[in-house]
Amino acid sequence: MSSDKQAQTVKKHKLNFAFREKLGTFAEGFRHNYCYQCGACVADCPASNYSKEFNPRLIILKALLGFEDELIKPDSEIWSCTNCYTCSERCPQDVRPVDVIIALKNMCYSEGKAPELIGHISDTVLVTGVTTKITSLSERRRQELGLPPIKGYPVDEIKKIIEAD
Amino acid sequence: MTYKSIGKYIPFFGCMMTTKYPWFEAAVRKTAAKIGMELIDIDGFTCCPDPIYYQARDKMEWYTIAARNISLAEDLGYDLITTCSGCTATLSEVNLALKEDPGLKAKVNERLKKIGREFKGSINVRHAVTVIRDDFGFEQVTKTVTRPLEGLKVAVHYGCHLLKPSRVMRVDDPNHPTILENLLKAIGAEPIHHDKTMLCCGKACMSDAIPEQMIMDILETIKSREADCMGLICPTCFDQFDIRQIILGRKHKKKLDVPIIYYFQLLGLAQGLNTKDVGLQMHKVKADQIFEKVLA
Repeated sequence: MSSDKQAQTVKKHKLNFAFREKLGTFAEGFRHNYCYQCGACVADCPASNYSKEFNPRLIILKALLGFEDELIKPDSEIWSCTNCYTCSERCPQDVRPVDVIIALKNMCYSEGKAPELIGHISDTVLVTGVTTKITSLSERRRQELGLPPIKGYPVDEIKKIIEAD
Repeated sequence: MTYKSIGKYIPFFGCMMTTKYPWFEAAVRKTAAKIGMELIDIDGFTCCPDPIYYQARDKMEWYTIAARNISLAEDLGYDLITTCSGCTATLSEVNLALKEDPGLKAKVNERLKKIGREFKGSINVRHAVTVIRDDFGFEQVTKTVTRPLEGLKVAVHYGCHLLKPSRVMRVDDPNHPTILENLLKAIGAEPIHHDKTMLCCGKACMSDAIPEQMIMDILETIKSREADCMGLICPTCFDQFDIRQIILGRKHKKKLDVPIIYYFQLLGLAQGLNTKDVGLQMHKVKADQIFEKVLA
């Protein structure tokens, strides 16, 4: 994004510093406060290299300025992050941009604004205990390979421990 | 809990490998035994849970479910070893986060108390390749080889979560790693490090276009370097490059034909196992042929 375009983006929004406090209630949702916008996170970011729309520095800037309507929605650019952590390697301020993006994703989910796939896949863990389910085919293949059978998963224990206190 | 001796490990194969790619698990079990790793299976593991979808849902839940898995291994006091980079990412990060932050550990333990468990922070989580390098050494790998894969050019794909975040993983230089190259050399293969070696598989990215271009770029680079196959250590990366290569090849009308092979399958072949023992015939991009030259 050119600096002109960035200035326009900033101008059309109202600053919302209360957003920082709200994001701060999620794990790692404070680390963007260390950012001084150097842009070291951008050059080796795979999503940035293959898409002009994705820029981790701007995501952090939007989090700092509180552009909630751009960040907290199912089609926000945050969902294009590849979780590769290259930005975390480059950042001189230990912002850990991926972790801030994950805090933003957690906020989306808690407000019902995450892509459906997130709920769909993570609910599978709560129903079956795993993300990729056992099938009769996988059981047969395990047998053919001489692997021990899968003994099932303690789903009840997971349900108990994820309840907030 | 005292830290026990090197040599015994609790394997965490995760859900993708055990259900979708069980031949990878078979390859790990067969090859690890020859190197001298004793795997002690325990019951009760669940999903790690995955670092993409579950972590995006609720990080506190994610910490808690992972901590429960780690606590099962702590009961025995052996390190937990992973064979999938997704499981490595989740379990390593949670293990370190809880060891570093007593407040977080207390919150998680409050939840674990409901099922009579506790995270203590007494063991390590390590990917199996790290265990081989650090506890056995590359020479020990070579000693198990009966059929060196001489002449086989393997394009290295690190994937992200063996190395990064390096603050958590502490395995190798995250920009200039050597562990996989050395493991390939140890079995007689020729590692090919190309300019897309360190690129991601794109699985976590929810855009269609970004991973598609990344995958095509990586596979075309490998093809231009005349490598025989790609070698990797993660079933999620495998999913992206094997089955998706067929889909993308059709879409772009390109014949890529880059076989994708899990490191422990290569190790198995070098140790004398046949291609069926390690499930090579199950791959979508046919991988059997390239071994004709080494198995001849």
